[in-house]
Amino acid sequence: MTAPLTATRAPVTPRARSGRQRQVRLVFLLPAAVFMGLFSIYPLIQLVRMSVSAVTVGTLNQEWVFTGLDNFSRSFSGEGAPALTRTLVFVVVVTGLGMLLGLAAAITLRTRGRWSGFLLALMVFVWALPPVVNGSVWKFLLADSGLFNTVLLASGLRDSPVPFLYDQHWALMSVAFVNAFAVIPFNALVFRAALMNIPPETFEAAALDGASRWQEIRHIMLPSVRSSTLVLLVLTIVYGFRSFDFIYVMTYGGPGTATNTLPFLGYMQAFVRYDFGLGAATSVAAVLGVLVLAAVYARSIRREESES
Amino acid sequence: MKQTAGPVLTAWKALLTVMYGLPILWIVLTSFKSSGDVFSTSSALIFSPTTEAYRDVLTADLLKPLSQSVLIATGTTVLVLLIAIPAAYGLARTRGHLTSIGLALLIVLQMMPQTATVIPLFQVFGSWTLLDSTVGVILADTALLAPFATLLLRPFFRSVPPELEEAGSIDGASLMRTFVSIVVPVARNGIFTVGTLVFLLAWGEFLYAVNFFLSPGEYPLSVLLAQQVSAFGINWPGLMALAVVTSIPILIVFTSTYRLLRDGLTVGAVK
Amino acid sequence: MRNTTIRGARTGRTARRRTLALTSVTLAGALALTACGSDGSDDGATDEDGEAPPTSQEGTVTVWRYFSDDNQVRLMDEYAEMFEAANDGVTVDNVFVPYDQLNANLVSAAGAQTGPDVVVFNGAEVATLALGGALAPIDEYWAEFADADQFPDSVIHEVNGETFAVQGYVNLLGLWYNADILDEIGLEPPTTLDELEDAMAAAAEAGYEGITLSALPQSQGEWQAYPWLSAEGFSYTDPDPETLEAGLARVRAWVDNGWLSQEAVTWDQTVPFQQFASGDVAFAENGNWQLGTAASDADFEYGVVPLPLGDAGQVYLGGEGQGIGAFSENPDLAWQYLAGTYLDAEGQVLPVEIVGSIPSRMDTAQDEAVTGNDLLSPFADSIAMYGANYPDGVIPPEAVADVQLTVGQAWSAALGGQQSPEAAATATVAALESLLE
Repeated sequence: MTAPLTATRAPVTPRARSGRQRQVRLVFLLPAAVFMGLFSIYPLIQLVRMSVSAVTVGTLNQEWVFTGLDNFSRSFSGEGAPALTRTLVFVVVVTGLGMLLGLAAAITLRTRGRWSGFLLALMVFVWALPPVVNGSVWKFLLADSGLFNTVLLASGLRDSPVPFLYDQHWALMSVAFVNAFAVIPFNALVFRAALMNIPPETFEAAALDGASRWQEIRHIMLPSVRSSTLVLLVLTIVYGFRSFDFIYVMTYGGPGTATNTLPFLGYMQAFVRYDFGLGAATSVAAVLGVLVLAAVYARSIRREESES
Repeated sequence: MKQTAGPVLTAWKALLTVMYGLPILWIVLTSFKSSGDVFSTSSALIFSPTTEAYRDVLTADLLKPLSQSVLIATGTTVLVLLIAIPAAYGLARTRGHLTSIGLALLIVLQMMPQTATVIPLFQVFGSWTLLDSTVGVILADTALLAPFATLLLRPFFRSVPPELEEAGSIDGASLMRTFVSIVVPVARNGIFTVGTLVFLLAWGEFLYAVNFFLSPGEYPLSVLLAQQVSAFGINWPGLMALAVVTSIPILIVFTSTYRLLRDGLTVGAVK
Repeated sequence: MRNTTIRGARTGRTARRRTLALTSVTLAGALALTACGSDGSDDGATDEDGEAPPTSQEGTVTVWRYFSDDNQVRLMDEYAEMFEAANDGVTVDNVFVPYDQLNANLVSAAGAQTGPDVVVFNGAEVATLALGGALAPIDEYWAEFADADQFPDSVIHEVNGETFAVQGYVNLLGLWYNADILDEIGLEPPTTLDELEDAMAAAAEAGYEGITLSALPQSQGEWQAYPWLSAEGFSYTDPDPETLEAGLARVRAWVDNGWLSQEAVTWDQTVPFQQFASGDVAFAENGNWQLGTAASDADFEYGVVPLPLGDAGQVYLGGEGQGIGAFSENPDLAWQYLAGTYLDAEGQVLPVEIVGSIPSRMDTAQDEAVTGNDLLSPFADSIAMYGANYPDGVIPPEAVADVQLTVGQAWSAALGGQQSPEAAATATVAALESLLE
């Protein structure tokens, strides 16, 4: 906003002109702004309004009574606090595995050939399957009579089945692992697209210099995925913070409440207990948490910009 | 550019293949089982295959949902790209508070639980007579996926060298023409990737479809898939057979765009 | 009060809704099912006088349901045919909505002043739909229904003094047993809890699993837990941590003894029955609706006895409720549909034959189709011995979902080892006290 103002006062230098030209490009945001104004902002406002009102199934279609922060205190004095801890553990596992293995997969898939092509198609295929299918498959694979336990028992590594989904600690790790499994193809695909923008000559030059594979990865590939890494990191964290369908399919938050994360809790409050206000408060709290993240993102974007 | 993969890479590749191949193998095996064999441990691998599930699934009734899915996924992809490409470019090339707020808003929208948007959107569509129409579902899916696509596309536009554009503007081309004829082609790798992702997500989206279509004749494939899961349990062979059948178009779309992507790379003179 | 506002609103909105439907036809170029029918009937006038409506003989009855199981779908198709055959010019349109979406979908549709003519829903969730304004009260129709006295109170769903739904049939839990295993260990089907535990111990000894059941942390878990909890004296009238703990501890001990897999916390009601049907389990706590699965998947001798619950035990009488949508354009026709199918003496024989459900009418319950069936009659006996309202009438309508979730989670936490039975019982009773106020 300040850029055009200074531009009118200062003598027109080429630099200022390019600054103004830059801001002209805000026009490109117009279609998105109009569309989101029509279809996204209203739901957002409704969600926030709901979170500070008493909204149940009986009052949903009537006037909502304002109750201040009551929903928030109710949510976080109850299941909300332990759910937050679980969510953080869950998000850390999903993000860590998802980012690292996603990049590793992208590096593998960058090479040409039948195998890479097949593997990429396979991964995207699995990613595109609905969560109910993926979740159910993993529920089978991780069951007592499932493949993993059958192999573990047959190989003598364990003498009793691993309680992947019905022990409180294992269960959280298992659902986090399956969520990571589901997000890796996506991250790999985006990383790969960034890697493919590297001109082939760069690799040729590196090969001439006798660079090892690790050096290639460190000095050529990692820098080229930097800007994608940031947005993928944000998207993966957001994914971890809002994902509930695998939990829904695999454990329904159990055993007991051991895999109740914030998004699942919000879903249950709103659509199982039909306390829409309470569910909205839980969701808004999660959004606020991620807003902090968004601020960090916006700041590092600024830094990135001042460098360029 | 031919490279030989080291042993570490090959091992990792093999692990990935097993990790993602196993579920598919399991899905395909189950789709050929009878429901009695699904749970029996003795018939995990050895069972008498039946195509019953496929015969139940592959009927003429599948055509209408299929065309609905194609319509919704294509419409959504086009609309999302029309909105997200300029927006991502705008956000990549501008700076200041407006840009930061825009980015933060996109993340917040991305965070919105989809279940929480159903009810308000239902009210909006109800008053705009968009309920029970394919247009309504496309609009809802677009609202769902446009923030995601914009965020993803932005880095691709940032990696387009500004000098290219400056060269264009010196030649006297308008901002719009520079954008269409220079920037977009250079960023096409990203656009193809994001377009594919949006298509696949729209193909699988079912919550909006099931809520905004009031007549069952209009349901897309994704809802048929959900139909295999009832309050009385899951029809495993049916679910898996339908998962296989409905995924075939996905595979076609993906392999064709994959070829485009790969060829684009060899042909494309990025610099 | 509430009643009249809804109806008044409906008359005014009918016209607008028709244009709405027409526009969307042109917009999408698609079939708008909502647009058809209803032209011949003038619902507004007949409603408000409360007079006997002139029988309108054309129109469409739109029915929302969550069934996708083949037999359940077939039942509803046959009902549709039955009604269409008896009423010229009427079509019945069965619409599938996934179970998880049905309630939310109905409530948001009600917010937009629209919705189906008939809703077939989980009877236990009547409060959600009634409070959400998605169901119309059926008191007037019910009062004039000649056969109303054939229906026991437990199948009539009232919310805050108004009747919203009547069940056409009843589903409930019983104890399925594998007769081959019982033969092998030389025991009879159990009639007491001690006998059941002895049998499970003997079965485990012989290398089999003892029992399968569901301990999912939600309403399904509560539905499966209630018989065992009530057998120890637990009730919602006066929730007591000691009886609750006793119930939880008893079944947790089954896990500790190796009779019941802890994996039960991830099972819905279908998986454990399929495990039972694969032949390695002595018992299953499951419902009459599994008749078809048992017949097709189990290749051993099996039978059913009432759950051995002693004097205090109770078994919920579940099943789908059938009600009329609050924004039905032709509620009279919707009622005719219900009266002619689900609530009809002959219509009630269909669910027995197709799905294996128990008729809710007392006269049809004596039908040969029920009494002559060795697998169904134990369920019919259970109704007499243990039958209990589902949900319990002492739970306030707005707290039903919360109570079921809370107890379901406690059940899962205790069986899954997240909490000790004692801790789970104490926390649950504390939560119940505020919910049951």
